[in-house]
Amino acid sequence: MQQYNFLTEAAFERIRRILFYFCLLVFFLGLPFILTFALGYKFNYQSLKFVKTGLIYIKTQPEGAKVYINGKLFSQKSPTSIQELLPGVYKIVLELAAHYPWKAEVDVEAGKVSRIDKVIFFPLRPVLEQLNREKFSSFRIDLKRKLIYYLDQEKKVVYRSNFDASNFEDIASLPEYFSPIDNWNISPDEKKFFIYNAHQIAVLTFDLGSNDEYLATPVFLDYDQEKITNVFWHSDSYHLVVLTNKYIQVIEARALARPINLVELNKENAMASYDQEQDLLFFGDSQIPADNGSYNNLYKLELSANSYLFDKFIKGKVND
Amino acid sequence: MTRPKGAKRIFEIIPGALSWMIIISLIYLSFVQPLVCAVLIITFDFYWILRTVYLTLLLVLAHHRLSRQKGKDWLKVCCALPLENGWESLQQLVIFPICHEGLEVLRPSLEALSLSHYPLEKIIVVLAFEARNSQAKSNALILEQEFSAKFGAFLSTFHPDGLAGESRTKGANATWSAKAAKVFLDSRRVDYAKVLVSCFDADTCVDVEYFGCLSYHFLTSAKPHQASYQPMPVYNNNIWQAPSFARLVEISGSFCQMIESMRLEKFITFSSHSMSFKTLVEVDYWPTNMISDDSVIYWKGFLHFNGDYRVIPLYITVSMDVAYGNNIWRTMLVQYKQKRRWAWGVENFPFIVMGFTENKKIPFIKKIRRSFHLLESHVTWAVWAVILVVIGPLPILFGGAFFSQMAIAYNLPKITGLLFRFTVLTSLTWIFLSWTILPPRPKGVSWFKHVLLILEWFFVPFIILILGSAPALDAQTRLMLAKYMEFNPTLKGNKVL
Repeated sequence: MQQYNFLTEAAFERIRRILFYFCLLVFFLGLPFILTFALGYKFNYQSLKFVKTGLIYIKTQPEGAKVYINGKLFSQKSPTSIQELLPGVYKIVLELAAHYPWKAEVDVEAGKVSRIDKVIFFPLRPVLEQLNREKFSSFRIDLKRKLIYYLDQEKKVVYRSNFDASNFEDIASLPEYFSPIDNWNISPDEKKFFIYNAHQIAVLTFDLGSNDEYLATPVFLDYDQEKITNVFWHSDSYHLVVLTNKYIQVIEARALARPINLVELNKENAMASYDQEQDLLFFGDSQIPADNGSYNNLYKLELSANSYLFDKFIKGKVND
Repeated sequence: MTRPKGAKRIFEIIPGALSWMIIISLIYLSFVQPLVCAVLIITFDFYWILRTVYLTLLLVLAHHRLSRQKGKDWLKVCCALPLENGWESLQQLVIFPICHEGLEVLRPSLEALSLSHYPLEKIIVVLAFEARNSQAKSNALILEQEFSAKFGAFLSTFHPDGLAGESRTKGANATWSAKAAKVFLDSRRVDYAKVLVSCFDADTCVDVEYFGCLSYHFLTSAKPHQASYQPMPVYNNNIWQAPSFARLVEISGSFCQMIESMRLEKFITFSSHSMSFKTLVEVDYWPTNMISDDSVIYWKGFLHFNGDYRVIPLYITVSMDVAYGNNIWRTMLVQYKQKRRWAWGVENFPFIVMGFTENKKIPFIKKIRRSFHLLESHVTWAVWAVILVVIGPLPILFGGAFFSQMAIAYNLPKITGLLFRFTVLTSLTWIFLSWTILPPRPKGVSWFKHVLLILEWFFVPFIILILGSAPALDAQTRLMLAKYMEFNPTLKGNKVL
């Protein structure tokens, strides 16, 4: 066969063996270098010893910041990593044009990564934009983060605009005789809102061209004997959760509705927070035990559509 | 197949147990010792990259040998041999074991055979049908009418189902037909030493120069009866029609075989192969109860000749069908089953280890080397893709807060990524070589398919996930649990699922 082949069988076998042993050599020579590099070791040519180093990983928002380490500009911009650092403290400065610089002292440990990955660059000249076009007393942002509602107590008007201040429009008028307004809020369905003061709640509908006459009629709920301290919308946009100086109540947003006292409070002006997603009311109330001391407790009241949960809670609190 | 007892059963368990032990240990380490796991992964990644580079270089050499011998007039080369070699006295016995393949598969194989640049009167064709195939008799009759006049002899055999000691395997059918051919040769008083037997898959289309090439290598080799002759399998019959997914897998399979042909100390017979009929009779034919008959016949020769048996590569192609289904999922299934059947070659491990324990004449070192090679190749096949794709990211994901602060946790993905960038070069080489072994584009096939043939290599990462380790792990687990596989031939040709 040799006469027909430029390379003989033996020559091919020789080439193969050379390749095999070359690869074997590369493996055994290369592997220690790769592993020592991976583990963070650096060969010190002066002491002829391996020294365990650490590294700093830098990630910024936005990217592209200049990196200074102990005052010297690093060759790469963020995101980057500075490898083979001997253990110790390093002064790191990150700079991005037209933004506030970021400075810190970073402790580098042997064989470890020091991560600087939560840097946000804030602009020197913040982007500021006026959104309102009329005077207003207070504002609310809807749950979907798309609309802004403005209430003007002087003109007794509610305005609305988009987040970018476009579509500024007058969407409701407040009752002339309702004063003062302690607080107000938009219903989750964004069709109505309530305003309240110490002894009265008014539920008003936005003038959005709806033909719903039932909703269009303002509803007034009077609290002559109690003092209203806080009001929340239930997620159904129909019930109101009312905190007075005596009770936690639920009441329908309709004329002549009667409140249900869910919890009797020991403390006036109870702190409260309402989770509209799960219809949970968190509130603080005091407990007066037999020794006449006073303890503040935090309670959770479930107000979801499953009414049995109300009973369960009330029984639980009575037992307490 | 009945479950063997004692030592053989232990050797059946070893490959699967080893593969699972490696995988489970690495997963366990990634949780409790992520640092150790990361070091092992980097080591394996580096080893794998160098192995890929090394094997790609071998592929280039094998491809060089194949392309250099392409189109060579081997018969002329045989004629130029000294008279004492006497190629004219050689007879070629060609066996096609047929399970359920129909005329659409068999006709092209016989037509290719009939076009051989070799005296056809010196070719004895044996169509080895399974008697359980209802179409066997009628197909045999049709093919005899069409082809029998072209060859020196044309036999059809019908292997009965359920013979004692046999499984439903290709080897059982091939052995039955070889014994029938022996009776035929005896009747003509043909010297077995002058007969070369080629056992071809039913869809095998031989190169016109195949028998000249085979004869030349047989006549010029030292100890020609102590060798098998292995052509390079390519899957060109329907490669232009096959979906890219299947095409890619089969091209990779051809390349693996070409690479193996450069590693003679590990090279064993695969699929279609040839050998001396004298040797076949001496080693008692192909195994009748093992699926991987194509490789076991080599080991039988190795044991029979006390380790002095080898496989001689023939740098000439035999072309077969790409196995595929009528949609991508069926194609995956077909390919998966085919690869699992190939991986079932792990059954060779208990076979050879048991053979080695009985044979005292094979040098001990040779026994250890060959056993280790076989075990290592199967275990590596079962674990490599799992380690690279599945276990690789685990230390980062589950190493915990302490590990994530370590330099190696940061460097692991960087080093792995850097190492694998080197494989781009090897991939480009594979793409180029795959393009060169393609048959001419048939009329009616768009030129755009050439572009697809290059782009399809980007599927490799997905194919690795499905066909990388899973079939091998499946086969080894079955052997470990004594859930023995039945021979399930791959559906080919027009018989797509």
